[in-house]
Amino acid sequence: MGSIRVVLADDHALVRSGIRALLASSGVVVVAEAGDGRSLLRDVRVHRPDVALVDVSMPLLDGIEATRRIARLSPQTGVVILTMHDDASFVARARRAGARGYVLKDSAVERLLDVVRRVAAGETCLADDGEAVDEPLTSREREVLQLVVEGKKNGEIAELLHRSIHTVRNHRARLMHKLGARSAADLVAAAERLGVAVGLPGTGRG
Amino acid sequence: MGTTRIAIVDDHALVRDGLARLLALEAGFSVVGSCGDGAGALKLLAACRPDVVLLDISLPDADGLDLVGEIRRRNPETRVLMLSMHSEPEYAAEAIARGACGLVGKAASAETLVDAIRRVAAGETLPSAERLSPREREVLALVAAGRSNDEVAQELGMKRKTVDGHCGRLMEKLEIHTRAALVAYGRRIAF
Repeated sequence: MGSIRVVLADDHALVRSGIRALLASSGVVVVAEAGDGRSLLRDVRVHRPDVALVDVSMPLLDGIEATRRIARLSPQTGVVILTMHDDASFVARARRAGARGYVLKDSAVERLLDVVRRVAAGETCLADDGEAVDEPLTSREREVLQLVVEGKKNGEIAELLHRSIHTVRNHRARLMHKLGARSAADLVAAAERLGVAVGLPGTGRG
Repeated sequence: MGTTRIAIVDDHALVRDGLARLLALEAGFSVVGSCGDGAGALKLLAACRPDVVLLDISLPDADGLDLVGEIRRRNPETRVLMLSMHSEPEYAAEAIARGACGLVGKAASAETLVDAIRRVAAGETLPSAERLSPREREVLALVAAGRSNDEVAQELGMKRKTVDGHCGRLMEKLEIHTRAALVAYGRRIAF
C-alpha cells in the first residue's frame, strides 16, 4: 500500500510543524499545510488528499464549516478533526458536517495515526452520540458571522466572498435578526454559543 | 558552546511530543524532559535542571503565568520561555513582568522558536509590546461584557469622552478596527 497523503490545517504553525515531524516516520505524508479555512479548501482542491487533518478554530472559515465544504468538494477526502475541544457539541457539529474522525490534541501520536489510517481506509471513527445541534444559520451566514467577529468590515467581507457590499449587508441584517442580536457584543456571544470557532486574530489579515 | 538542555511543559501530548521531535533535530539542543501540568513541571525541573523551559501559558491545573515566579525561585538557573496559543501581544509583556524571558506564540514558525530559545539561553530577554494600563483593562472587560460606552462611563465614573478615548487607544494598541473584534478580543483574554 502506498503512503497516506494528508493535508494539515491548523492556525498554529508550531503545532503543524510538530505534527508533521511526528507523522514523518510513519508512512503518512503531509502534502500541504494550511493556516486558515480558506487556504485549506484551496489545498484540498489541488491535492485531493486521502485525509484532511483539520483544527476546529481557524481564521476566515472555521474547521466545522471547512469540513462541510470538503465533503462536497472532495468526497474521497476523509476529514479528521484535530482539536483541543473535548466537548460533545463540537463532536456532534463535526459529525454533522461530515467529519469521519475526531482526535484531541492531548492524545498520543499512536491514536492519531490509528484514526488517520482507518479514515484513509474508508472507515468512520466517530460515533453518533445523539447530541442535538442548534444550527439556525445557513452555511453562508455562519461564514459571515465568523468574519464579523474576527473584525472584518463589510467591504472586506464582500471582497473575500466575491459578493457585493449590498449582499453582505443583507446577510448581516438577517444574522442580527435570526440571532436576536442588537449589538456587536450580542453577535460575539451568539458566535460562541453556536460554536463558531474563530482563529487567531491577525493571522488572516492581508 | 555546549548543548542547550530544554524541558517542555504543555498539556497537549501531540503538541508536546511534536515540539520535542522538532527541537531534538536542532543542532546544539537536547530535550531533557517534558510533562503536561504544573505540578509535574516543578518536579520535572527539580529533577532535570534544564537551561530553558518552554512553558505553556494554559495548563490544566495552573496558569502558566502564575508558575513563573515559583520556577524562578526554585530553579534560578533555568530560563523560562512561555508558549501560548494566543498571539495577543500584551501576554508577552505580562510574561516578562512575571520573570519570564519572553513569549512565543504557537502561530510562530519553528525557526522563530529555535531562534528565541538560542537567544534566551544566551541570557537575552525577548522584546515585547506595550502592556495595557489597568484602566484600559477595566474598560476592555466592560466592553467585552457588552456594555455601551455610555454604560462604561457610568460604571467607572468617567466622562463618556474619556471612555471613547480609552477605546480608541485600545484599538490602536491592539491593531483592532471594529467594535465586534474588540469585544471578541476582550472575551478571549483573561488575566
